[in-house]
Amino acid sequence: MADSPEELAKHKKLYKYVGIWLIVFSCVALALGKIPFLDFGPPGATWEDIVIGLSVSCIKASLVALIFMHLNHEKGLIYKTLLFTFLFFVSLMGLTLFALADPIKESYDTLNTLKGILNFKS
Amino acid sequence: MEIPYEVSPRRDTGLFNSKLGIWLFLASEVMLFGGLFSAYVFLRVGVIEGVDTPWPWGINVHKTFVALGFINTLVLIISSVFVVFGWIALKERKWAKFQFFMYLTVACAAIFMALKTVEYRSKLTQHHDIKLLDNSVMEGKILEQTFDVPFEGTSVEFNLVGSAPGFLPDIVGDFPTFTAEWKQYEKGEDGSSEIVSKTTEIKSASEFNSWFVKARTKATADLVKERKRYRGEIAAKEKALYNQEEAVEPQAPVVDTKAKVTAAEPFDLHSRRRQVRPIVRSDSGKDSMTYIDGCTVFGKGGDDRIKFEPHYVDMQLVPVHKQKDSMVWDVLGDSHLKDAWYKNRDSAYQEMEHYYSGKDKEIPESMLRGYYINIQSLHDKAHAPSFWSQFWTEFKAGAGIGGSKSHDDHHDDDTHDHGDHAEHAADTHDDHAEEHHDDHGHAVIMVPRDQVKFLNSHGPRNGNYYAIYFTMTALHGLHVIGGALVLLYFVVFGKPLYLKNPEHLANRVEVGGLFWHFVDLIWIFLFPLMYLL
Amino acid sequence: MSEAAAHTHGDVHDDHDHHEAPFWKQYVFSTDHKVIGIQYGFTSLLFLAFGFFLMMVMRWSIAYPDRAVPMLSDWPWFQAWLDNEGRVTGDLYNMFGAMHGTIMVFLGIVPLAFGAFGNYVTPLQIGAPDMAFPRLNMASFWCFLLGGVLMFVSFFLPSGAAKVGWTNYSPLATTTDLNFSSQFWTGQTQWLVGMVFLISSSLLGAVNFIATIINLRCRGMTWMRLPFFVWAMMVTGFLLLLAFPPLEVAAIMQLMDRLAGTSFFVPTGLNVNGIAFDAAGGGSPLLYQHLFWFLAHPEVYVLILPAIAIVSEIIPCNTRKPLWGYKSMVYAVMALGFLAFIVWAHHMYMTGMGPAVSTFFQTTTVLISVPSVILITSLLISMWGGSIRFNPPMLFATAFIPMFGIGGLTGLPLAFSLPDLHLHDTYYVIAHFHYIVAPGTIFGLFAGIYHWFPKHTGRQMNTLLGHLHFWPSLICMNGIFAPMFLQGMTGFHRRAFDGGAAYEEISTRVIAEPGTFVAGLFEKLRIVGEGQPVEMIDLNIVTSTFAWLLALAQVPFIINLFMSVYVGKKVTSDNPWDATTLEWATPTPPPHGNFLTEPVAYRGPYEYSVPGSDVDFTPQFEDDPAVVKKERSVKDKNVSADDSSKS
Ligand code: HEM
Ligand SMILES: [Cu+2]
Repeated sequence: MADSPEELAKHKKLYKYVGIWLIVFSCVALALGKIPFLDFGPPGATWEDIVIGLSVSCIKASLVALIFMHLNHEKGLIYKTLLFTFLFFVSLMGLTLFALADPIKESYDTLNTLKGILNFKS
Repeated sequence: MEIPYEVSPRRDTGLFNSKLGIWLFLASEVMLFGGLFSAYVFLRVGVIEGVDTPWPWGINVHKTFVALGFINTLVLIISSVFVVFGWIALKERKWAKFQFFMYLTVACAAIFMALKTVEYRSKLTQHHDIKLLDNSVMEGKILEQTFDVPFEGTSVEFNLVGSAPGFLPDIVGDFPTFTAEWKQYEKGEDGSSEIVSKTTEIKSASEFNSWFVKARTKATADLVKERKRYRGEIAAKEKALYNQEEAVEPQAPVVDTKAKVTAAEPFDLHSRRRQVRPIVRSDSGKDSMTYIDGCTVFGKGGDDRIKFEPHYVDMQLVPVHKQKDSMVWDVLGDSHLKDAWYKNRDSAYQEMEHYYSGKDKEIPESMLRGYYINIQSLHDKAHAPSFWSQFWTEFKAGAGIGGSKSHDDHHDDDTHDHGDHAEHAADTHDDHAEEHHDDHGHAVIMVPRDQVKFLNSHGPRNGNYYAIYFTMTALHGLHVIGGALVLLYFVVFGKPLYLKNPEHLANRVEVGGLFWHFVDLIWIFLFPLMYLL
Repeated sequence: MSEAAAHTHGDVHDDHDHHEAPFWKQYVFSTDHKVIGIQYGFTSLLFLAFGFFLMMVMRWSIAYPDRAVPMLSDWPWFQAWLDNEGRVTGDLYNMFGAMHGTIMVFLGIVPLAFGAFGNYVTPLQIGAPDMAFPRLNMASFWCFLLGGVLMFVSFFLPSGAAKVGWTNYSPLATTTDLNFSSQFWTGQTQWLVGMVFLISSSLLGAVNFIATIINLRCRGMTWMRLPFFVWAMMVTGFLLLLAFPPLEVAAIMQLMDRLAGTSFFVPTGLNVNGIAFDAAGGGSPLLYQHLFWFLAHPEVYVLILPAIAIVSEIIPCNTRKPLWGYKSMVYAVMALGFLAFIVWAHHMYMTGMGPAVSTFFQTTTVLISVPSVILITSLLISMWGGSIRFNPPMLFATAFIPMFGIGGLTGLPLAFSLPDLHLHDTYYVIAHFHYIVAPGTIFGLFAGIYHWFPKHTGRQMNTLLGHLHFWPSLICMNGIFAPMFLQGMTGFHRRAFDGGAAYEEISTRVIAEPGTFVAGLFEKLRIVGEGQPVEMIDLNIVTSTFAWLLALAQVPFIINLFMSVYVGKKVTSDNPWDATTLEWATPTPPPHGNFLTEPVAYRGPYEYSVPGSDVDFTPQFEDDPAVVKKERSVKDKNVSADDSSKS
């Protein structure tokens, strides 16, 4: 990071624009969530909405991470650490969901049975 | 030797220590929130349709909260910009400007936390769900309920050894005069011990405590002595058997540590519902009540009803063919609500049918019970308050600001402060399940507690959505407070370091700023996940 | 460096006294990594002893479920928990079992291995004056201590301590003791709070370690010149840093379940003792297991890596040979660290995972044994053809290898879901991991204590007492855990407080018919009656007896540890073992700031018996061998003589 006055002024401008973009994207996210016209797929929070909504968040997050947190020009070591962190995070979330989505047959039936019992009891 | 690279970066890694440290810390924070996000997805995906509490969506997540969340999003973004500006000011060696931006940042944090508090309070005190025995749910506001099981006691039976001292004063309102009866061992003249029944008069809580401690000590000592004797006899028997002599059968300990206190006149009890067995219960008309640790109160149960203002009915957990006969209609006691509910259900059904017929598919059953159809506003649609007036009312209620009359909102006449609403309801009502409408169609009903399966405000107990909402936002809130304190420390106490080594301070601010941006980054994901999707 | 080596003790003490700090600042709230290391060491040794005591009571219950516990039945605390006949109750057993696991893992081994050795040795080995964040280091110790005290105090709550195993599975952990009406705060809750503190402490520690290793290496200490110990510490640091937060999440969520009434881990329709549990439901007990094992599998490597690290310092030093395959060990340990994160569900084969998930986790589990084997093989080959000095540290280090080998190899059957269906939650699993942590890790830690003791005290530990400590310990350890494999394969459940007596079908399986040699032996030892066959359940007595003997075997160590501080043989140089790594370049004991002059690493860490050199070791810090050689050959002769003559 150069510390010359011109550089700093340039940074300031960049930060201002990024801030404005972040606000714009927040509004987009709100609109996506609240305006029925922008509700994609079947009514309700379906995977289409989730993908679109979260991509907006990802754009915002990468703006913050890259510009505000200077990840656009960081040292290799930090990239490596974050890469591994990200991998482990993905494996934590991915593998637990994988396990959830792949039950053995019997347990699946158990769920249905449970469902029946709870619903038709009273 | 001094610790190197505290200010200037090390050549081969290009990093000064604290920057490396903060990134490592942030990596672990990523895993922390990553774990929570994983839990969020796991719990949400894992909801078993028709069995588990559904993930609330749309109407259940009140508009007010979306607005508050959105404002908070903006506040955090702006504060992030302030932080980088502050850091640049420091790089430019402009102390006053740095101070200015840092204080702004801290102010943003304060606003964020204030709004959060409003939101929490509103969720915890203004919105409630009552789930009836057949799994139908009424959403609304509890105006009055007893937190204790209403019960008038006359006597209490308990075990001296199992219970804690002071439990009786804890659960008894005005301490009446008690007569205590218990048993203890006493040495007879011939050295043998016998069990003696004793009674004593107890007039106050402190008297009770000292009696209790004494009696318990004695009972415990008796128990220990008896057990020792018993073990000795066992050993003797074994020895005798070994030596092939005649063995004396050991006599098991018979220490009776039960005690009973009887009051001269009936007394009131403070007993949290979860202390009483079974946990969710009504004690109307029962003549005894057992606490979970086994102590039993005899007396008479009072009438146990909840004064409730229903706003919505949610039938997602009731099978479609049973929804018509659900007990919720009896509890609500208003047949035209049922008709209105069906009408709305049908219109939503048509909407769904329209969508799915275009796709050439059957409507899935989950959709039939699903989010749109079964949750219905019981408000009179024509009188529904505008978004802003509703927002303002809820905001005030959440923030604990009283007196709705004072503000000049032109929707004023549509809204009522919940406080005087309750009073109003209270004096036109006796305790039966007849109904009452206030100015804008809110019915007030009395829900008998023995028809209630589960009851909660929109607090963490309510279900997994609220649980994870509170857990994650609270943890995030702690991070906000922590980050703000650190930044505040830099402005308030940073001057000496600034004069000595401004670059060092700039490094510290950069590191603190990194943390702050991370907190912002988490919120960027929390906002859609908790409020929008 | 020769200058540093030439310092006598008097000089060092002078140096120490220059910045006279008050006692509490020097020894209690110190920020010096060495003091903190020793604080960690002592606390964790105390906790190890305490955990051991809990285990001895449990072993009594297993061996003699129908007899009163000797000695303890008159203690007031035990009155509340023993039954009328003075026997161990199920509640007491569960409490001790849960706390034994927790204390050993989180308060004993991790702080001793990572906190104590890591803290003391790492900065010295990389030539750093201290940790990168000394005050953070202190904070992490006090955080740890607070967590430890909370755990310990929980025994004295009316509800007793936690009772649900060290794994603390929900929903049992959520509902246990929740109905203590007069007691809002229970041991189970306190366990969670304690864990939050312990985890935070580990996280702070991990940040500090990694930052130190990355940024504070001295001049010339390139990545491939780092001693293997440091590499292992760094991988351990990363394991802690990235695996612990999910457990912290799980602890917080369980805490919410218990205190705020949420139902993260409480499924819909849960009944407790026939009463509907008052919660919204909809949670997932499996989520807890995922979060827990996401930590706990990496955690087992946290338990073992420091021990491997210590052993791989001691073996080259005492065989006078370079570490064989240093580079492959480094890459292996990194691969191990990576794979450790994606094998966790091998603890959950029985939870109804489908075949696809099982296959994935079986594959990764088998894969992870490859780097483990690389590590162990390299250590083994390192000894090949060396002129080995069998002093106490080396004895422990040598024994570590086969013990770890047994533990690791018996993990393989567990790695496949099919045999695991049979072996899961039996004594086989207990034996598997205890072979790794008890005769494995703990031996490694003992080795470390014997090895680095002279660095701090300037005195050697007694060799004879060391032998008296080692041999009985080795025998007892095997006596304890080997029978467990047998019992486990027969089907003994690991959590039965009567040691399986209730399950006659398996407990009465005959091992040896009367008249055989084994049966005769058991008869002589009065374990079985005359003419009786030896049954599986009789092994409980064998195991328990060895466990109590193991306690006796630690007496020489305790004596040795304290006596040697005062009467141990003085070392005459700062490098009594003729080792090559940087910690031996400091004065004895190292002063605050460690090095008197800035250290420089000139070469790799294990330059033993370099051809052409006329001493058999070339330290990393020695810039010009020719100069120092003469001095050293005079000075160090008498030091190494003692130990090498023993072997
Ligand atoms: C070398 C390859 C290894 C393999 C293939 C392996 C495999 C396994 C498997 C599959 C289990 C689950 C058994 C069950 O619960 O049914 C297990 C349990 C366990 N392993 Fe290993 N393991 C290995 C190394 C280690 C190491 C190095 C440690 C270090 C201490 C360790 C410590 C443990 C512990 C503590 C448990 C039991 C946890 C519990 O249920 O309480 N293992 N191992
Ligand atoms: Cu494992």
